[in-house]
Amino acid sequence: MAQELLRAEHITKHFGGVTALDDVSLSVDEGEILCLVGENGSGKSTLIKIISGVYKADQGDIYINGNHYKQLTPIESMRQGIQVIYQDFSLFPNLTVAENIATNEMLSTGRFVVDWSEIYRIAEDALERVGVSLPLDVEAGTLSTADRQLIAIVKAILADARLIIMDEPTTALTQKEVHALFDVIKDLKERGISTVFVSHKLQEVREISERTIILRNGKKVLDRDASELDVKTIEYHMTGREIDTSSLEFSEPRTDATPLLRVENLTLGRGFYDISFELMPNEVLGITGLLGSGRNELALSLFGHLPPESGRIYLEGEEMTIRSIEDATRKGIGYVPADRIREGLFLPHSISNNTVVTIINSLLTRLGFIDEERKDEVAEDWIERLDVKTPSGELPVESLSGGNQQRVVLAKWLANHPKVLIMNGPTVGVDVGSKAEIHHLVRNLAKEGTGVLLISDDIPELMRTCNRILLMRRGKIVDEFVRERTDEEELNRALVAAGGNGSGTGTTTAG
Amino acid sequence: MSEKALESKPKADLADFLESLGISGQTLLLLGILTVLIAFFAITEDRFLTSSSLSSMGFQLPELGVLSLAMMVTIIVGGVNLSINATSNLGAVLAGLMMTRLIPEGAAEGQILLYIGLALLIFLTIGVLTGILNGLLVGHIGIPPILATLGTLSLFQGISTGLTKGQTVTGFPEQVQFLGSERFLFIPLPFWIFVIATVVTYILLNHTAFGFKMRMTGTSPAAANFSGINNNSIIMRTYVYSGLLAAIAGMIVMSRTASAAYEYGSKTYVLLTILIAVLAGLRQGFGNALNIFLAVLILQVLSTGSFMALRGVRGSTFFKDFSWGLLLVAILIINYHVRGRRTHG
Amino acid sequence: MLKSIIKRNEFITFLTIVVLSAVIGIINPTFFSVSTLFNVLRASNVYAIMAFGLLLVVILGGVDISFVAISAVSSYSTHMLLLSLGYEGGILLYFIIAGVIGIAAGLLSGFLIAQFDLPIFDLSLAMVTLWYGFDLFFIGATANFDLPEGMVGYYGAHILQVQDPVVGQTGLHISVLYVLVVGVLVWLLLRYTTIGRGIYAIGGNREVAIRSGYNVKAITMIVFPILGLLASIAGVTQGGYQRNFNPVLFIGQHLDVLAAVILGGAAITGGRGTVIGAYLGVILVQLINRALILTGIPVEWQQFTVGVILVVFTAVPAIRARRRKRIGHTEESEKFQEI
Repeated sequence: MAQELLRAEHITKHFGGVTALDDVSLSVDEGEILCLVGENGSGKSTLIKIISGVYKADQGDIYINGNHYKQLTPIESMRQGIQVIYQDFSLFPNLTVAENIATNEMLSTGRFVVDWSEIYRIAEDALERVGVSLPLDVEAGTLSTADRQLIAIVKAILADARLIIMDEPTTALTQKEVHALFDVIKDLKERGISTVFVSHKLQEVREISERTIILRNGKKVLDRDASELDVKTIEYHMTGREIDTSSLEFSEPRTDATPLLRVENLTLGRGFYDISFELMPNEVLGITGLLGSGRNELALSLFGHLPPESGRIYLEGEEMTIRSIEDATRKGIGYVPADRIREGLFLPHSISNNTVVTIINSLLTRLGFIDEERKDEVAEDWIERLDVKTPSGELPVESLSGGNQQRVVLAKWLANHPKVLIMNGPTVGVDVGSKAEIHHLVRNLAKEGTGVLLISDDIPELMRTCNRILLMRRGKIVDEFVRERTDEEELNRALVAAGGNGSGTGTTTAG
Repeated sequence: MSEKALESKPKADLADFLESLGISGQTLLLLGILTVLIAFFAITEDRFLTSSSLSSMGFQLPELGVLSLAMMVTIIVGGVNLSINATSNLGAVLAGLMMTRLIPEGAAEGQILLYIGLALLIFLTIGVLTGILNGLLVGHIGIPPILATLGTLSLFQGISTGLTKGQTVTGFPEQVQFLGSERFLFIPLPFWIFVIATVVTYILLNHTAFGFKMRMTGTSPAAANFSGINNNSIIMRTYVYSGLLAAIAGMIVMSRTASAAYEYGSKTYVLLTILIAVLAGLRQGFGNALNIFLAVLILQVLSTGSFMALRGVRGSTFFKDFSWGLLLVAILIINYHVRGRRTHG
Repeated sequence: MLKSIIKRNEFITFLTIVVLSAVIGIINPTFFSVSTLFNVLRASNVYAIMAFGLLLVVILGGVDISFVAISAVSSYSTHMLLLSLGYEGGILLYFIIAGVIGIAAGLLSGFLIAQFDLPIFDLSLAMVTLWYGFDLFFIGATANFDLPEGMVGYYGAHILQVQDPVVGQTGLHISVLYVLVVGVLVWLLLRYTTIGRGIYAIGGNREVAIRSGYNVKAITMIVFPILGLLASIAGVTQGGYQRNFNPVLFIGQHLDVLAAVILGGAAITGGRGTVIGAYLGVILVQLINRALILTGIPVEWQQFTVGVILVVFTAVPAIRARRRKRIGHTEESEKFQEI
């Protein structure tokens, strides 16, 4: 009954000697919600760029609204109703909401003079069409991520979009905002507008998708009704192998030994209150909570970036005051950051340089100069140990994929032989294959005696790696789960309940 | 991310290998230009390669050269130091005032040398103190380096102006001119200083843990912070080193001109050191002292060479600025063509 | 509505001007006179014209320091040319010829930047050296005081004459009209043309601007000739007023104009700035310069005072920003309320 909107047949694309897409075909019907899933390097970005006309396919045909295209241009693609919403939402942060909405329209008229009343009219009409309300005179950069995303969607609708492609749209949204977005997508569906939702968050894919397409190594490996798929199957097809979680060795934490890390009544105003817990040797302790629960601040505090206002920290039984990151590093605490691009890596520098940055002081000759040979050796050693895929350690780290980059960050900290390693969202933006390997790594670390504090909101990840999981809400620890006595469903419920106005440990609002 | 890598395939190639030796494409380019220019002027001007012309070049360029090194280290660490020239002059003014006021008439040589020693101490102290101030403002307080060093520029130059009431300090004992006019193994002393400063800076940047951390901080202060590097300490020490180099440049100037003025080079030097930095392919986190050295040599050769070639033509001393501008435009365009294949910062 | 005006950078600049004037006036009451007003306005004129041009580049996201050299080379070479031709007419021809030179110089910069994707600052560094060098070598190395007949009276060309109790006759120089006209034109460009909105867009997010369809190369090749033209107008005006043409006019003063534009509320990263703000910034810089003189601080210590003020005025906001970061003000703590 539904009409076919877009059909891509036998699309092939090469870059130099590498095949990015190999004979990929797909179709999208009017009003359909399609999810495109794949690891980094699977070809999903290339496919999107070909559909939107930014790249030209080497082979294959594209049919939009019945029109046949061998070579599609961006303008033609847009004219046929295909709109891509990139992760930066294509916004001008310094211009008003009205101007952001109306710009493309105004530009297409080709007029030299700007008519402000026209801009406001266009913006108001567009907002009405989509049924949202946003302040027109405010600078777009001051709005929340969710609102900025709405502007992007409004722009797309204004351009008479029939198919909206969203690239990783939920990265910076709270749970509430994600559901609001899903409502908008469903509303679009009612109006006959199709959505292609590119995401690696498989839980969300499960929730919103009607049909799921999986790409792997440039080929389409699955194209099926979403209701027939579960997360495990998706993962299997994404990586081509079973994610072996059974072999994850769970070492038992030594409950009789001195805790590696003990925290007593730690408090930081506007962050967290009265936090107390212990991390035992051979243990991976997970800390979870929604955005704003204070889990981030707690991690940063233990690492010395936001020194706590009160409370005590004991490392291997000894009380420590940690006033700075330098302090924390010296005392044996490492931190794998959530934002590895900004906080974890020196992108233009070589992989080896990135690897040795925490231990450079120990790689000196007797005269005090850098021992180049030893530095290269140590770097090579860690690159091998963590299986960083690169032809040379001298290449800049920015040439690596997300998963490999994260391994470099890990290598950097492991080289420092930390007693406690805090990992904050370590597998965000990492392909599924690398993700599993990192989980193995985490468990091995614990087995060898390094304590790991894993901050994450990825429930499966927590279940696969942690012995215990603490739940935070509004700055306090509200619950504790032991792996053997809980499951993903319970965790999920607890996490979501912590965000609602539900029952349970009802604490008063923080501010 | 790896799809981006597909589009711009970086291979481990000759350029990378040379880079690991500290010899980058930029170095070769500058070396090439220098060679061509020297050859050109040597052929067209028979007086170019004479010892007197070489030595006059060798006496003039070191002050700019050392200043360029002073600017270089701050750029690498992610900042800039607009106060370098003011620092040199401040050192010269204070040392100068001390000597011209305190040295008694008809003092013995030994005594004079003592005062000169004191003057040297003043220079070094000024270098360190100005560096500490800059380091505090940029590092600990966190003022954007352009604004901070603009402020200290006015501060330091202001002190020089106030103390001298705008008058140039003269009347130095002739021993002061030793550094600025003597040679060692036929090479002017100031040039030796420039060479040594280049070598020391090179070793510092490429072979010490400090230099390593400087380059990391310059590339990404956030990542450096989260890797346990104490940015404030690195920045502080960098500006102190920069101040010391600036002070040494001041020593050379005072020795060469036997005078100290609050505004020596104030309208042109700082901008020139930045021009040299751009010629040398400098940017945050990446830089080669060797390139600075070569860039300074190139500017000097162009200056002297064009002056000789245009001897008799009115305004011949000014052709150098025109040629320097042209050279930089050419280098910028060349770098654009080379940039395509490499990841740029 | 009032609240949005108050929050803006331009208002803070305006407030600073008012406060500073009040302070100066209290220390030295002769400050509050018509002649002071006319003096400040006149002295600001050439800098304001250049600031309006520089503003376009700053909003675009770049910093240019070569406009001062273009000012010098266009006015000086026009003068030397007309001198050699025995020209005795008025200033209009100067504006026309210098204008053409300024536009050409600007086009050259714009072309190089657009065609070769050269960093704006780096190129302007090359051009400032090149143009001053060109001026000094090819045109002449000394200031020339030989003005044509028709320009001799330019110094006293006032549009308004008033009797001032202290100074006597005082007039408002005609160049203030140039500022008005240029200011209005630039404002119209920025607010009511696609090119102007494009400048803001590129400064705000260059990638997105390209994606939206703005022609960055074309806009670049329009902005720089405008800057060149305005620089040449400023150069001729200054030369006519001081009754000499100088090959190194405005050398070293690029920072003053840049400071004015930034103080006027433009963001150094691009995407923000207004004509009014730039003008206020110029006035503020002028006032600061005069304030020192009028406070009676000896000439030789004035620069030192400027240094102290600069350091203090930049340290205070920096310290406050540091302190705010320490209180755990992460983006996530902002979301505290959301759930």
